[in-house]
Amino acid sequence: MSGGTMLYGGDEIGALVFDPGHHSLRVGYAQEDSPKAEIPSVVGIGSSSGSNNSNNAPDTNLDPETKTDNNVTSNNADARKYYVDTNYVNVPRAQMEVQTYMKDGMIDNWELFEKVIDYAYANVIQSESEYHPVLFSEASWNVRNNREKLTELMFEKYNVPAFFLVKNAVLAAFSSGRATALVVDSGATHTSAVPVHEGYVLSQAVVKSPLGGDFLSRQCRQHLEKHNIDLSPVYKIASKDVVKERDNARFTLRKLPENLTSSWQNYMVQLMMQDFQMNVLQVLENPFDERVASQIPMVHYEFPNGYHQDFGSERFKIAESLFDNAMLGAGQLASTSVGMCDADVRLSLFGSVVVTGGNTLLQGFPERLNRDLQLRAPSNTRLKMISANGSVERRFGAWIGGSILASIGTFQQMWISSQEYEEAGKSQVERKCP
Amino acid sequence: MSADVRDILDIDRANTPEITRDSFLATKKRNFERTKHASRRPEGMHREVFALLYTDKKDAPPLLPTDTALGIGAGYKQNKARLGMKKVRKWEWAPFSNPARNDAAVFHHWKRITDDSTDYPFAKFNKQLEIPSYTMTEYNAHLRNNIQNWSKVQTDHLFDLARRFDLRFIVMADRWNRQQHGIKTVEELKERYYEVISLLSKSKNQNQNQSSEKKTFVYDAEHERRRKEQLEKLFKRTIQQVEEEQMLINEMKKIEARKKERERKTQDLQKLISQADQQNEHAASTPSTRKYEKKLHKKKVHHQPRPSKVDSVVNAIEIGSSGIKFADLRGSGVSLRSQKMKLPANIGQRKVKALEQAIQEFKVDPGPPPTEDICTSFNELRSDMVLLCELRTALSTCIYEMESLKHQYEAACPGKTLNIPPSLVPIKSETLDNNAI
Repeated sequence: MSGGTMLYGGDEIGALVFDPGHHSLRVGYAQEDSPKAEIPSVVGIGSSSGSNNSNNAPDTNLDPETKTDNNVTSNNADARKYYVDTNYVNVPRAQMEVQTYMKDGMIDNWELFEKVIDYAYANVIQSESEYHPVLFSEASWNVRNNREKLTELMFEKYNVPAFFLVKNAVLAAFSSGRATALVVDSGATHTSAVPVHEGYVLSQAVVKSPLGGDFLSRQCRQHLEKHNIDLSPVYKIASKDVVKERDNARFTLRKLPENLTSSWQNYMVQLMMQDFQMNVLQVLENPFDERVASQIPMVHYEFPNGYHQDFGSERFKIAESLFDNAMLGAGQLASTSVGMCDADVRLSLFGSVVVTGGNTLLQGFPERLNRDLQLRAPSNTRLKMISANGSVERRFGAWIGGSILASIGTFQQMWISSQEYEEAGKSQVERKCP
Repeated sequence: MSADVRDILDIDRANTPEITRDSFLATKKRNFERTKHASRRPEGMHREVFALLYTDKKDAPPLLPTDTALGIGAGYKQNKARLGMKKVRKWEWAPFSNPARNDAAVFHHWKRITDDSTDYPFAKFNKQLEIPSYTMTEYNAHLRNNIQNWSKVQTDHLFDLARRFDLRFIVMADRWNRQQHGIKTVEELKERYYEVISLLSKSKNQNQNQSSEKKTFVYDAEHERRRKEQLEKLFKRTIQQVEEEQMLINEMKKIEARKKERERKTQDLQKLISQADQQNEHAASTPSTRKYEKKLHKKKVHHQPRPSKVDSVVNAIEIGSSGIKFADLRGSGVSLRSQKMKLPANIGQRKVKALEQAIQEFKVDPGPPPTEDICTSFNELRSDMVLLCELRTALSTCIYEMESLKHQYEAACPGKTLNIPPSLVPIKSETLDNNAI
């Protein structure tokens, strides 16, 4: 510790930062600028017989490495096999169900979650868990039971030297350099507006809606299916020919193992839809107007089977559903949330509206939110939106905030150490991590 | 070279001697000796290489800075520029314990081996608020009875929250256990907290009879509630209401402008009337008086042949450009009263400077608490100060003018002195001058 490092207040102690979300779990070392790995928050569960089948299937010409099971998850006592991370989950296997461990922004299936953490320690961190303090993020509406369970898990199973739990909205605000902010977080399953006052979430004024990226994916899928566009994900396609626009696709199917589960197939279609919505969808700055939308250049998109066409006004219409809802539109959420706060803090909240979450990368999202908020905010308020420009900063806002927080010198007194845990038990997480 | 070509083409070798080691060395030596004098390119040397060594003009070789000449680091004049000459200081992954923590948990971080293990440097930032506590007897004696019917449990909860969130009342109100203790607003929490604090400090002072009474903060909950209510109303204005208010303000401004216009017109009219009257008088006056007047006028003109600065200064002051016109705060929405005391933007830099000096000179608090009375008086005071400054400058110009006139007079009529009537002699002009500048 020398004068130079004191200057910026940083003191790195080898902490890890975990940021679980519905789309993925972000894992990495504190003080780095982006997470080491982004692990999808779904786990493939195959029965033992099913996994044998997939191992024996010689015709799936995929990378041989991906065909093997995850060594971490193989459990002799348990007949089932678990597949974690993209390389393993995205392989077609007979009777492999795909299941998420998250529910409503909180960790729900602890068994699966442990598999993912095991995997993260073994393949991402590649170090022993007892050497690294762990900072976890959580949803702002996380319940006491869950928080205590997570604390217990980390101390009892992973023997971490220290643990801390922070609301992801607070971390997102920190990553933008604010202690007081209104954090509008649009992720896979939720869009939420969370007021943060001097580093504390005002929990009574949290507003959330179930309109997120997954909702858009479903809308896209409905729309495309209505127009009889074949949605065959990449895994089905062995080869394809170049065809003219809007011509029927000519492709050959790959030979696949039998008994692919519908949950896995849906998951693959959903991944494809995520690509579609990020490339095609856009939000207009003003409420949807057919005339305006039709004047904007069309966007070309080619599906995995080779079919391609231009998308015009429908790409605005689908995205509009995030905003035009009278109750759950993003602008309405934000203004409702501010309206529930004490009158003294409203000005400062409007003064820094932090936009974060992967779904906000939808083209035009921040601009539209700005416009909607401007209409709803009182006339004498100064509205300022803060949205990171890079897609990494926007998607991993909470993780980056955690990375900053865990590597600040003055934060090192906040950890719940293993000694404290042994003395006072898991219930202190409620006091120590506000 | 040509020999090689001939060799390759199988042409008879010319009469050049075959190159042996000895002959080669011999030629080299000879050539070298020759180049010393004539600096001709030796045979076998490439042109480019030769050009590097000996250019046509025989320039000195280019100078290149070096830091290794005359021993390590001696190439520089100043020792400071010796970069990277020290040995690398090692870092180690060392354990440390943080005195800001209540437990003795040991973490690891990178630290220089040479650094002494002093206290954790960030521990000094661990500041905690002092929040008083009370005992059961104290509570029963002083805090049991209160108007808002706070129970002991509620008060305990309040103080617990105050300690946990360092008196961030907004967060405290958010985390207030509503199920057990009912909903409390920020104002109620503050009211109770400051009530308890003042009661506690009072009782302690009574017990110990200390003369040094600690100041307690008096919280005016009623006022705060009304303020919040107003703020709430302000936030809840609809766009129509805002527009209506703006419209009304504009209308009012228009009316005022019209009123001013009318006043100006009547003044002009009165001026015209009085001028007409004067002209009539002039016309009516007899020629003799007119002549006399003319004479007088001439004399006057003679008296003031040169434009005097004094006039302009005095005029300016009389017209009333002096002083500060503080802006009326009639914008939309609420504003702080301290805004009233802000100097308007159109005041010049010099005026502001002079004002600052005057404030220092009279030892006035430059930022008094902005109550209604203080606001108006402070503004008047500063307006007067500016006027005072201007008068001082005017006075000093007058004195200067008078002095220069006197000198002119004495120069024009040598031997005579101009007697200035005592009423015009400045009193303590020096001190005023000093202050004015």
